[in-house]
Amino acid sequence: MSRNARSALVCWATPAAAALLGAGYFAAYTVSGHPGAGLVALGFMLAVGAAFALSARYSETMRGLLNRRDERIIGIDLRATAAAGLLLIMAVLIGSMVEMARGNSGAPYTWLAAVAGVGYIVAVIVERARR
Amino acid sequence: MELVVTGNSVRQLRTERGLSQGELAAALGVSRQTVNSIETGRYTPSLPLSIALARYFGTAVEEVFHVEER
Repeated sequence: MSRNARSALVCWATPAAAALLGAGYFAAYTVSGHPGAGLVALGFMLAVGAAFALSARYSETMRGLLNRRDERIIGIDLRATAAAGLLLIMAVLIGSMVEMARGNSGAPYTWLAAVAGVGYIVAVIVERARR
Repeated sequence: MELVVTGNSVRQLRTERGLSQGELAAALGVSRQTVNSIETGRYTPSLPLSIALARYFGTAVEEVFHVEER
């Protein structure tokens, strides 16, 4: 595959992922008997993907996030992803505590927290082996 | 031994050659914002990008980036 073809493929990865997620939401809503809500979710995710693709024409940052060529923007993306992950883990931990305070087991937040913890440990082990 | 980057000559080298930030960015395959961040010292590039910068200007990495031993 040529460098240009690969670059174009990488550029479309995020909008394509948004479209795939939309298709997943549509399938899930359709299975539960709510195809109308599924269409709304699909339309929303397609709009998000299109917004990403279109904004890349006007924003260097968006272009960098999509084409993955600029090391500084890749670093910004990595830190932003880590920050979002930490925020999500905090929300999960608080959610589990709220559930426990209500006299419940803390599920499904405790399971999600366990997934996050195991995921972090596996990532550290994999990264440690790689460098 | 700890080396700290205290500054760089990217802006000087670029303007000496009559290049815009956008032209240098295109040559290096990065964004104009990244060239600006390097010039203002807000971002220290990776070793490959530092070498690419030095090679582009036909000089050594130490001539582009100024380091201090602490």
